[in-house]
Amino acid sequence: MADALSIIALKQKLLTGELDVVEHTEMILQEAEKLNPSYHYFNVISSNLARVQAQELRREIQTALKLKDKKKLQVLQQKKLLGIPISVKDAICVKGVESTAGSRILKGYLPPFNATVISRSVNEGGIIIGKTSQDEFGFGGFNVNVGLGYQVPKNPFDKNRTTGGSSGGGSGFTQLTKYTHVSLTESTGGSIVEPAAFCGVVGLCPTYGRVSRYGLMDFANSLDKIGATGKTTADVAVLLQSIAGFDQKNATTADVPVEDYSSFVGKPIKGLKIGVVSVAFGDGTDSFVAERVWKGIKSLESQGASYEEVNLDLPITMGVPTYYLIATSEASTNLAKYCGLRYGKHEPLEGSFNEYFTQVRSKNLGEEAKRRIMLGTFARMAGYRDACYLQALKVRTKMIEEYKKLFTKYDVLMTPTAPIVAPKFDEIAKLTPLQHYMIDIFTVGPNIAGLPHISVPVGKQNGMPVGALAIADHFKESTLIKLGGALEKTCGAGQCACD
Amino acid sequence: MAKIVPMAKTVNTATEIFTSDVVIGLEIHVQLDTESKLFCGCATQPTKKQREQGQDVPNSRTCEVCLGMPGSKPVFNEKVLQYALKLCLALNCAIAPELIFSRKSYFYPDLAKNYQITQYEKPLGSNGFLTLPTGKKVGITRVHIEEDPASLVHPGGNLANASSASSVLIDYNRSGIPLCEIVTTPTITNPEEARAFMNKLIIILHYLGIFDEKNSVIKADANISIKKSGYIRSEVKNVTGFKEIERALFYEVGRQQKAVDSGERLVLDTRGWDPNKGLTFRMRTKETEADYGYILDTDLVAIDVTQDLLTQIKHEMPELADAKIAKYTDQHGISKLDAEVLAQEKKLAELFEKVSKKVDPLLAAKWLRRELVRVMNYNKQTFDDLLIDETHMIELLDLIEKKVITEHVAQRLLEQLIVKPFSPKAYVQKQGLGALSDNKQIEKICKEVIAENPSVVQDYKKGNEKSLHFLIGQVMRKTQGKATPKEVNEIMKKLLK
Repeated sequence: MADALSIIALKQKLLTGELDVVEHTEMILQEAEKLNPSYHYFNVISSNLARVQAQELRREIQTALKLKDKKKLQVLQQKKLLGIPISVKDAICVKGVESTAGSRILKGYLPPFNATVISRSVNEGGIIIGKTSQDEFGFGGFNVNVGLGYQVPKNPFDKNRTTGGSSGGGSGFTQLTKYTHVSLTESTGGSIVEPAAFCGVVGLCPTYGRVSRYGLMDFANSLDKIGATGKTTADVAVLLQSIAGFDQKNATTADVPVEDYSSFVGKPIKGLKIGVVSVAFGDGTDSFVAERVWKGIKSLESQGASYEEVNLDLPITMGVPTYYLIATSEASTNLAKYCGLRYGKHEPLEGSFNEYFTQVRSKNLGEEAKRRIMLGTFARMAGYRDACYLQALKVRTKMIEEYKKLFTKYDVLMTPTAPIVAPKFDEIAKLTPLQHYMIDIFTVGPNIAGLPHISVPVGKQNGMPVGALAIADHFKESTLIKLGGALEKTCGAGQCACD
Repeated sequence: MAKIVPMAKTVNTATEIFTSDVVIGLEIHVQLDTESKLFCGCATQPTKKQREQGQDVPNSRTCEVCLGMPGSKPVFNEKVLQYALKLCLALNCAIAPELIFSRKSYFYPDLAKNYQITQYEKPLGSNGFLTLPTGKKVGITRVHIEEDPASLVHPGGNLANASSASSVLIDYNRSGIPLCEIVTTPTITNPEEARAFMNKLIIILHYLGIFDEKNSVIKADANISIKKSGYIRSEVKNVTGFKEIERALFYEVGRQQKAVDSGERLVLDTRGWDPNKGLTFRMRTKETEADYGYILDTDLVAIDVTQDLLTQIKHEMPELADAKIAKYTDQHGISKLDAEVLAQEKKLAELFEKVSKKVDPLLAAKWLRRELVRVMNYNKQTFDDLLIDETHMIELLDLIEKKVITEHVAQRLLEQLIVKPFSPKAYVQKQGLGALSDNKQIEKICKEVIAENPSVVQDYKKGNEKSLHFLIGQVMRKTQGKATPKEVNEIMKKLLK
């Protein structure tokens, strides 16, 4: 991994003709094909689409070089992702490429349109190499709740361990590939940063509304955010910049200018005020995880940042239940369309409509999807709605207030991304659903509040990576990128100086 | 006595109505006449050309949003808010400070998403009323915006036979068309009132210009119960048109009364209306109220209904029929009935207002409300395709007022005017259609008629009054209506003495 070029470096080599875009694409496709049978990072490797895109770029680059067409070269130079291989979480629609959100019920579904993040990435010269593994519809923290017939991806450092989830495939491949690569990932309650931490890569989940959700198969509309996962903060910054910004097709995108995120990588952090959430370093968090993250914080301090320990109440105590009530309520309505009529696997037409769709859903949805549909349906039923769904919305507002107050004093809040390193599959199998849900304890807060957050590797413990989580105020992604770059200086991605 | 069950989604503001023999509440769905759908850019109607050439193809006006494709997101059409606000104001509603949408979840083949985007928590309009011609106020519980589902096409014919059909087709052209749902309080006490309510509502929609009667649909669900049963209500679904609502309710009241009289115990049910057979039929029983598990639709951001917007909408509101009726009766002394007919059609009212500035309003009212309406009905014309303009109408009425032409000639002219407009004044001059003022000339024609019809004259002299009418008719024909019947009558009687 250390050998991989940064996005900016690869782009330069492609533009000077030192490297060929088709050959580079071919190499990463072959690698993906080779790794997939044992690691299961991809649900689909979109070789045909990638080759067509690469060949088109090659033509453009070669023509411009041959003719010494400065204007054309300038246009190509401005493409932020020129020739960069990008993997995409399965829930994000890619036109003509099977997109199932990791569920058997959508097996064979070919979206007739591109998600906005796809059209923007392709517009910037990005090459789509495949759809990555995820928990079915995003329902999980360990990527073990894959849909029926799908394989569970394996941690790049230890095949007996989880990649984390739900964006597990994208994070795992980003770590394992030798080549330059970034991944479009998605978070509802922590699905970008948690697998990033478990796989030792950088994951950035932007502010809710910063990136268009158009073309994302919904899990929970008020929580879903598409973000970026990469080997370095610098790569993540480039991808985020390519996809961020207002989209008239998605009413919840914000018309807030997009900053030049790349310019914040390597900027000094002198004066940065960090609130360290002390409760996240106590009971329930493995001591070596706490230790690694503390080291990271100290390294930031040595670069001129200051920190204070702070209390965080509601997001820690009420975060998980609040998150699950809102997320499952929304999810249970989003999944209703998969009934075997317009969407969802067609089964033999038997019985009434009710009998038919019940059969389709019973056969083709996994256990966790069914559990969440039932949870969510219950939470919004008359009689329970006030106590569950509406109460959760009120708590959400309180949480946002609590965060907003802290951000008047601090630029970022920091915790470990997860209280443990990636657990082994046999450990996960012993967890109850509730214990399973608790893995999100530090990540649900910023997700509920729509706050941008980043996970950056801060070293390894017994060979397994640990991630530090930093949360910033709405639309302050640039602060997180600055912080990510600074952490990497001493704790560089997967190669922490502390090791 | 059985438990009194309050109407769905209505607030019983007047408990005393539950002493009435019949209790009716309406839920009316109006398709709003916007160009594009509620949450996407698809057209709501085929183009004129497509319609004329019969090319209104099913599933042609659809996109990923109104088909509910995975990943698609709704974006609100602001025009709908403007239309709906006009309706809320016309129905005297309180307006919500913001527009928010919810998901109403139920599995049904006409819903691509298996939930409908509608308003639940805070409807756009609430606590309004509509005054019937009798002066009775019917309360409006709520007015809200929602999306129309797709339409189910039953190849076997109507819904009543649907259960025996082996297939059903779905047309998503209707999916996502904006609807306003209007819910009344259960204060309607007979089918005639329900009809009057619907009629009044349609007039309001016309004035507001938010409903296209030709190409769009207005549908009512009626909740109906009778005292005898302890107000066990039935919901009659999807009745189209205000005449049908009266028929359906009339049938349903009778059915419930008969059932109770024969000792049957009514149960809550949902019924369909078969307009061909003129009866309601059970679709399903309702053991409990359906639970739609409403949650907010967070793909749609809350939209502030600002004071600026409200001011703008109020400014754009036309004068409505009620105000016009009051104006016509108070200012011009026109009878209430005539004023109501004039105000019923916006175009007729506008024509009247222009014409009555130049000619006697009473004469104008009489001619527009009676003659013009009669001639148009005869020609099966609607006021939307009215060709006549006020200058022609003013000329015509001026000719009548000044007795230049007889009413008979004026009627004939009006018949031609609505087919192809022309200047009545020039035409009368050119064709010599002016009224005959020379009694001698009329007398001459009368004599001719007497000479030509000896047997009829004899009949008259024997005392058959009808024979005189025939003779007068002959004179009118010969004069092309230029003589007034009154004068001919007098002359004839004198000659036949």
